[in-house]
Amino acid sequence: MTLKGIKELQNEIWMIKNLKANFGELRLNRNWDEPMGPTSKPNVTDLRAWDFKLLSRFEPFYAPFCDMCCMCTFGKCDLLGKKGACGINADAQQARTFLLSCCIGTAAHTAHAHHLLKHLIEKKGENFPIDLGMNIDIEAPIMRTVIGEKPGKLGDFRKVLDYCEEQLTYLLSATHTGQEGNILDFESKTFHAGMIDELSKEVCDISQIAAYGMPKGEEDVPLIELGLGVVDKEKPVILCIGHNVAPGAEIVDYTNDKGLYNEVEVCGICCSAIDISRRDKNAKIIGPLSKQLEFIRSGIADVIVVDEQCIRTDVLEEALKNNSTVIVTTDNACYGLPDRTNEDADKTVSDLIERRIDGALILDAEKVGEIAVKTALRISKDRRNIKILPDLKEVTKYAEDCIKCRMCERTCPNSFPVFDAIQDAGEGQFSKLLEVYEICYSCGKCEESCKADLPLVSMLTKVGGHYLKNQNYRIRQGRGPIQDVEIRKVGRPIVFGEIPGIIAFVGCTNYPKGGEEIAKMAEEFLKRNYIVVATGCSAMSIGEYKDKEGITLYEKYEDVFGAGGLVNLGSCVSNAHVSGACIKIANIFAKKPLRANYEEIADYILNRIGACGVAFGAYSQKASAITAGINRWGIPAIVGPHGTKFKRLLLGRKDKKESWKVNDLRSGEVVEGEPSPEHLLYAAETKEEVIALIPKICIRVNDTPKGRQTKLTNYIDLHQKYIETFPNDLHLFVRNRNDIPITYRKQVTEFLESKGWKPKEAPFEPSLMDFKKEEGR
Amino acid sequence: MMPWQPTTIAGPKQARVANPESVIRMLKKAKRPLFIIGPVIICDEGCDETVCHKAKIRSSCMDIAKEWDIPVVTVGHAFKSFLKEGFDTEPMGIIEIVNLLKDPEWKGLRGEGQHDLVLFIGVTYYIASQGLSTLKHFAQHLVTVTLCKFFHPNADASFPNMSDKKWLKYLEKLKISLRILNQEINTIRRV
Repeated sequence: MTLKGIKELQNEIWMIKNLKANFGELRLNRNWDEPMGPTSKPNVTDLRAWDFKLLSRFEPFYAPFCDMCCMCTFGKCDLLGKKGACGINADAQQARTFLLSCCIGTAAHTAHAHHLLKHLIEKKGENFPIDLGMNIDIEAPIMRTVIGEKPGKLGDFRKVLDYCEEQLTYLLSATHTGQEGNILDFESKTFHAGMIDELSKEVCDISQIAAYGMPKGEEDVPLIELGLGVVDKEKPVILCIGHNVAPGAEIVDYTNDKGLYNEVEVCGICCSAIDISRRDKNAKIIGPLSKQLEFIRSGIADVIVVDEQCIRTDVLEEALKNNSTVIVTTDNACYGLPDRTNEDADKTVSDLIERRIDGALILDAEKVGEIAVKTALRISKDRRNIKILPDLKEVTKYAEDCIKCRMCERTCPNSFPVFDAIQDAGEGQFSKLLEVYEICYSCGKCEESCKADLPLVSMLTKVGGHYLKNQNYRIRQGRGPIQDVEIRKVGRPIVFGEIPGIIAFVGCTNYPKGGEEIAKMAEEFLKRNYIVVATGCSAMSIGEYKDKEGITLYEKYEDVFGAGGLVNLGSCVSNAHVSGACIKIANIFAKKPLRANYEEIADYILNRIGACGVAFGAYSQKASAITAGINRWGIPAIVGPHGTKFKRLLLGRKDKKESWKVNDLRSGEVVEGEPSPEHLLYAAETKEEVIALIPKICIRVNDTPKGRQTKLTNYIDLHQKYIETFPNDLHLFVRNRNDIPITYRKQVTEFLESKGWKPKEAPFEPSLMDFKKEEGR
Repeated sequence: MMPWQPTTIAGPKQARVANPESVIRMLKKAKRPLFIIGPVIICDEGCDETVCHKAKIRSSCMDIAKEWDIPVVTVGHAFKSFLKEGFDTEPMGIIEIVNLLKDPEWKGLRGEGQHDLVLFIGVTYYIASQGLSTLKHFAQHLVTVTLCKFFHPNADASFPNMSDKKWLKYLEKLKISLRILNQEINTIRRV
């Protein structure tokens, strides 16, 4: 535009009083006539009132990992029964460290989004359209509700990430010594960090779906090969680890472009694996992050490409043991390797092959594609004869050297019976070692603490690989967001409770008894017509289980977002589509305006949409941010027993009637409510406890009588099946006789009588939002 | 003493090492004790309960609770094993009961007032450690004692790390001592 043109435009703008606009925003919000809501780009305190309402119901529960604070030079301060030198006490310190954890998690997703967006814009251009196809109009529900804008092109996401980074800086600063000191304000900031995390994940996944042509929410996506046994070891093998799809996507693109597709095996571990297979359905998934050390030790990978998050920080050390080559690809995990980003690709390949360098840092994903493939092709032959793992006789020999210190089982996070298994292995019996292998997530702590220096992970890997040769499973390709058309079909039955709930199995593999428990939980609810969705490592764990007929749940259950459907949404950034689906229900079914309208949407979700997240193996700071993010939307989450190590939960007290009152926006009355959902973040000790809890936590105050009957039937059934007793709090969830499940009418009626139960009316329009002035008191 | 999982050391204050005698003394002082039993002492599927040490541990726990009339909360999925024995317990989640115990206003399992002493056994080690930490920091009104075979530094008092054989011996001794104590109390009352 010429200078004269700009001036003319400025004059025109000047003449329209109070018009605030800039070119970017005008482009951003074309064709969106919805009025701007009350909270566009909320600042740290803008949703504080909503947070405090949640926190008055779901009070923080703290379980300190450590009695002390070690964060400044006044310390260490012992906070047991006393304040620290800065004035902080133990509960505020827990709230502070949880906020810090969420900031770290959010920063990881935001940096991931930034890295990926930068690459995609370089590749496709700022103006590359965000088009999620004919069946998705609401392409970015979180962005619409939080920012109040919708994306038209890749470049539009820059502004969203600018906002995320600004807010993240404020939040992180609040954890500095001598800043925030109140637990509720810490918790409000934690929710805010979670909300920013949601935005970053959404930006990340939508960008990659649009720019890499990943599935756009279509039903019945292809099945992908999964497992340690799916890799053709005779070919050069490239292993990608982490979460950022760009290097892996460029590797598969390079092999396809050069006609090398059949010459090289490209596989992945953790979320990069899922996302590479969304780019190219022929890429193979080794498994969740728990397979990392095991697979590297197996020596199968010729080239290991790491990107970001959840990578073992000793990946280089482990790779060097078996002459694998490591390429690191992001600025947040450089591992001391030389920067070869601007070096000639063939020169770097040559240096890697000749071992002049241990590995390379290459901050150019396309170049990574070329170098990884060329290197793998040239080094694989030489590596074939490398003997990496001990053979079974050597395993026995090692086991005989055990000095019986038992530190292996004492340091095992799950106290798995490693010691007993090693004793048996010393006598040539491997069945116990195999049992440990099947549930172990190979953190390697046993090996690190072994006083006899036994290579325990290698021993386990050998035994597992020897006896379980056919680790070959299936997982659905990650399909991304739920389509609007699906939301139209299920919105009503979900809100009315006739579909008893949406359960999202998400997160990592820090399971107490192996990944099979995730699949068993999922199947229990699939059989009962819940909608089950999964992401990341949990999605993989579900795929790693086969039933008696030898088929996986992904083959057994339909890939539909409907009753009894099982959907793999994708990687952990695809978790944004869990809350995205709930937001869309509020908008599409209930016609709630989205634009910058956070509180009303969250209030709707909390009171009407029976969704819950299950992160049974949550381990990382990202997992804490993910739970904080869904919690602020009003979606409860259940973590596994290791989740208590996050040090903070949000628990309701069903015995405190006062805390469950709701505003009936239609009648203008404050009315008695019920503990639904009972908790916002709860840690369960066992699979059985989770299964018994899920149906209850999917109850919502707005359920219709028919819906409530369905939910209570599931609650009674599953409580009786897994805890073997009738639920002793059932009376709290029966509003009147219409709620009593027909199949349990006699039993429930007798129980209600024993509790002195009295019927009550269900509120017409339950809400935690304040009455508008004309609505009443 | 080093905790069973060495990294559960939280700070300068650690649990006192308990034995059956010291537990008896604490029980004698307590007005409203509570017993929390977790799923670690539940037999695995297909296990022969006639020889399984976990079955013997459970049996000792039931006897201890009966001898001293202690209300029992079973956590995780521990309830069903006690139901089979006809032994009445209240099923809850470990987090749920710890959350109630930290509230000084809670009326306790029997509605008679907040408990002042809590015995733990069989709760998964690391979740028990976290729950005990909550109570150590935020429930000054009660004393926590663990009867597991693993030393728990976050409790006020804990049995030491020991073998299954010694553990069973400790619990048997506790049970017998409580029985004798009960008989003595009854004798005094009659006199």
